[in-house]
Amino acid sequence: MRDLPALRLRGALLGVVGALPIVLVPHWATVLVCALVWVALLVLDLLLTPSPKTLLVRRRSPGQVRLGEEGTGRLLVTNPGDRGVDVRLRDAWNPTAGLADQRAELTIPARERRAVDQVFRPTRRGRHTSRALVLAVRGRLGLIERRGTRQVPGELLALHAFGSRRHLPSRMRRLREIEGLAAVHQRGQGTEFDSLRDFVDGDDVRSIDWRATARRRSVVVRTWRPERDRHVLIVVDTSRTSAGRVGDAPRLDSALDATLLLTALAAQAGDRVDVLCADRVPHVQVHGGNARTVLHDVVAATAPVEPALVESDWEMVASEIRRRARRGALVVLLTPIEPGAAGQGLLPVASRIAADHPLIVGSAADPALASMARERGSIGAVYRAASAEQETIEREGTARALERCGAHVVDVVPDDLPQAIADQYLALKAAGRL
Amino acid sequence: MTAPTTSAASAPAAPAAPDRPGPRTSTRVLTVALALVVLAAVLAVALRGTFRDGPLEPAAPTPQGSKAVARVLEGEGTDLEVRRYTTDAAQALAEGRTVLVTDPSALDAAQLDRLAEARASGHGHLVLVRPSFFVLAHLAPDIRPAGSLKETTSLGADDSCAAASLHAREIRVGPAEDVAKSATLYRAGDGFDACFRHGDGAAVVTGEGVTVLGSATLLTNAGVGDLDNAAVALNALGGDDGASALTWYVPSPTDPLAEEHPSLLDRLPDFALPLALWACAIILAVLLALSRRLGPVVVEPLPVSVRARELTVGRAHLLHRADARDAAARSLRTRTAVRLASRLGVRREGRLDALIAALAPHTSLAPEQLRTLLGPTPVRSDQELLRLSEDLDALEKEIHR
Repeated sequence: MRDLPALRLRGALLGVVGALPIVLVPHWATVLVCALVWVALLVLDLLLTPSPKTLLVRRRSPGQVRLGEEGTGRLLVTNPGDRGVDVRLRDAWNPTAGLADQRAELTIPARERRAVDQVFRPTRRGRHTSRALVLAVRGRLGLIERRGTRQVPGELLALHAFGSRRHLPSRMRRLREIEGLAAVHQRGQGTEFDSLRDFVDGDDVRSIDWRATARRRSVVVRTWRPERDRHVLIVVDTSRTSAGRVGDAPRLDSALDATLLLTALAAQAGDRVDVLCADRVPHVQVHGGNARTVLHDVVAATAPVEPALVESDWEMVASEIRRRARRGALVVLLTPIEPGAAGQGLLPVASRIAADHPLIVGSAADPALASMARERGSIGAVYRAASAEQETIEREGTARALERCGAHVVDVVPDDLPQAIADQYLALKAAGRL
Repeated sequence: MTAPTTSAASAPAAPAAPDRPGPRTSTRVLTVALALVVLAAVLAVALRGTFRDGPLEPAAPTPQGSKAVARVLEGEGTDLEVRRYTTDAAQALAEGRTVLVTDPSALDAAQLDRLAEARASGHGHLVLVRPSFFVLAHLAPDIRPAGSLKETTSLGADDSCAAASLHAREIRVGPAEDVAKSATLYRAGDGFDACFRHGDGAAVVTGEGVTVLGSATLLTNAGVGDLDNAAVALNALGGDDGASALTWYVPSPTDPLAEEHPSLLDRLPDFALPLALWACAIILAVLLALSRRLGPVVVEPLPVSVRARELTVGRAHLLHRADARDAAARSLRTRTAVRLASRLGVRREGRLDALIAALAPHTSLAPEQLRTLLGPTPVRSDQELLRLSEDLDALEKEIHR
């Protein structure tokens, strides 16, 4: 920790007093004497002032805060000395951490402790840190202050706002319907034996369990339910294509929103969820072992994920998927369908993945494309419309190619992406395809 | 869509070819060129010769100088000397030489009195260029300024001129560039000859051993050639007999006589300088106190984000610049056809004929018109492309209704 003296305004203006002797005894020697007295006073003040090193600082970090909400932290400054001190302090967080007031002034009596309460309203997802804590102890005469920069690590993790949370109850209801619905009570891939019950009119005669019927007097049918404890692997692409801003947020944000909704839903459905964020290398991986903590784990792990200006390595993604997921596990690939990028690497890899797994490809479409395609009136507008239409044609072509590979493509505007992915998951579950 | 293109595919670094000029060679060329320029400048200055430039300087060939008059006078046999101090000029005046004062307004009362004494003691002749009222009050109280000429004017001599005409018929007076903003006219009492009149005043006044020239254009290199200006200049300075003695007095600010006055600093109180020094020290201290920041500047690690539509807009610009009307028309037509086909239940892969056959009953357009609209008809101008886009819109609206 460095400790440097700094002149205060009062110390500088003290020099004005020296003008009086200079006017009364106009001589260069007077100037010299005044300057020496001035410097001597400043040095005296410096010697009387305790160093900021003597102060003890402890921090209670705000921890994790969801975007749009408030977090609180606290700084505790202790003065172990025998005389009180006046302290100015600045806690230098980065601006988007949303610390309301970085500066505080404290008067700490001898052998006492004072607290600074801090309120954080982060405006950007990710990890925020305090770069430095600066303490300035005021001199006894108030002419100078001694400043010290101290490293008191502080960290705030601003979590994804998870705006699609409000869609969770309706999807949960739909999940319960699927699990309890008679129409689903037929045997198929991805269903498991549930129970035996008495036959009622309308039941499929093929579901009668003859062995059980023979043991009892009434006819008994077997019921089936969607298989639980399936494996869902969500792969989020963090490459350059995810950096594109649609509306106010980058595409990656809507992909993460969809990840969170699907994680919450699948955890409720009893499935195991793994999340992988990757571009050229796998960045973040969450193994959803515990159904109760998986959502929190995913939220915390994906909070600092930012898109990078690199191209995705789809071969690496494919091998990661092969390593993590058994045959038949659901793979959800959240990547923008870019005609150029998809043609380069995604298509062949997607067809290989789709051969082994049910595959959902989720992509955030740009609503500006549709509005641009309707532009008319000037020649520039018509060219823009034509360009947007061309883009749409290519996107649809890529989406069709992916579907031909066996993937389920969800290409909707960012606001609808989480629900659409969740609905696709429920549809696969209802159809017993998991 | 998004266009954050990476520079991953950067060109392989080509090894510098030996025949190409490297950075070291170009630096050497630059150094040599710079040296040549400096040498040329030095040569130009040396060839031009050294002279002292200034208003009415006898050695200056510039428009404001007076080298022309001085050289001609010397050629005529005039003994010309240049003086810069009042003492020297007064001595020359006392010796009976003709003394030209190029800028009398620069002299103060003491210097003027010295000149007046010298003139009274001897029989020298004084030539003044545009003297002010203050100057005339000391040297020739009977002459008074009588207005000025702000524009270049030609003045002629008349019968009343007598000696003051200096053998000239018509002169041109007025502002002289870099020397004076106007010419001055004078009125004189009895015993003086005045010539080249304009209103009340006259541009040249002579008598009692004083010649007043009202305009600097009579002497400058730029103005001396106009009309009979040269005659006035040479006759006023050279005298009638030709072989005369002329002292060219250019007042100098370093004249010892002029430095006897107390300067502005001497009038300040004693404590002013120490106090000013002290104030500087205080200002420095205040700046130091205010400039110190509490802690470091915190840098925000901003994420990259590119508007997704940029690429689409960029492609539109490219199409526009290349006038790719057919490509634009193809995109518009294809999307319209796809939408119409899905609306009417025609298979998307179907041929254009099938679509037209399905459309025909629902629209007012004839099949040929539909074929022109949706088929690959060339688009020749921007107007046609605009019309095509509107027609496609109209067709879709018609079908959707």
